[in-house]
Amino acid sequence: MSGYKFNIDPRPPKEEKIAEHRDFGKVMHNYKRMTNPLYRTPLYRYRKIFLGLLLVLVVAFIVSEYGEEHEQEMKQHKADSIRTADSVAKKIERDRAH
Amino acid sequence: MKQSDATGLHGFLTGNGKQETGNCIFCGSMALGAVNNPDLNRYHQTKEQIFNESQIIEEARKDPGRFGILYEKYYRQIFVFVFRRTGDEDIAGDIVSDAFLKAMVALPKFEFKGLPFSAWLFRIALNEVNMYYRKSSRDRVISLDQTNLTDVIAEAGGEKESEENRQLVMKLLSTLTAEEMQMMELRFFEKRAFAEVGEILGITENNAKVKTYRIIDKLKAALKKTDM
Repeated sequence: MSGYKFNIDPRPPKEEKIAEHRDFGKVMHNYKRMTNPLYRTPLYRYRKIFLGLLLVLVVAFIVSEYGEEHEQEMKQHKADSIRTADSVAKKIERDRAH
Repeated sequence: MKQSDATGLHGFLTGNGKQETGNCIFCGSMALGAVNNPDLNRYHQTKEQIFNESQIIEEARKDPGRFGILYEKYYRQIFVFVFRRTGDEDIAGDIVSDAFLKAMVALPKFEFKGLPFSAWLFRIALNEVNMYYRKSSRDRVISLDQTNLTDVIAEAGGEKESEENRQLVMKLLSTLTAEEMQMMELRFFEKRAFAEVGEILGITENNAKVKTYRIIDKLKAALKKTDM
């Protein structure tokens, strides 16, 4: 027989076990925890949201770092090209004066 | 089809276990005599009881603490219902806690249709049991009495009642799908009315009847092949 386990003339559940599990306080506590708005609960309680947010921050940091580096490179390149243009212009002026 | 649930099984159990009299909304019969097996989750109630319950539900919507009344009233019934399907008190305890928590969270969405609140709770509990079996690799526990097997043999047209035939019926039952087995459990092993079965499974009473007869026909055909 696959998938089923037949329990013929089953014993009733033990009363002490029923009493042990009967706890409305616990259900109420879980209910409050579940229905509490996000801001009332520390963020680390929501593992997925916490990890997602962390990932977004890391990506944002990497992008900003890369952007800054790229910007500096561009500035350097611009300064170099201006310097080269200046020196070329000076050279042309010097040649004309001669 | 035997209507054994229309005889002495329709006791009206209140939250404190006392019996009340009145007309059951499912079958219209009066509550007569003692409940044969109170562990089999009778939830037949009078219109008055259902109305009173709807007021508690309204209060629980505004103040979740009031849900405790419904929790205390139905805890045992739901526990036994789940225990019959898991065979383990600790697993049943966890599933029942989850079921009540889900019921509390979903209470604002609950629509009162004039039926006992327990039907909705049974449905949530059954979904939780199904979820438990989907996640675990365990075999589904099917609780039934020897008399249930005899009833199934009789329903399926089998004449001889012997250990060999019981084994054969169990073998045939094990070929049923999970949905079909749930139907058999509710209707034959727990002797519930079709209206209850439909309400718990989220289908109409007629649909429950049709599906049950199809399963019986399937068993009949299988038994015919074996010449029981």
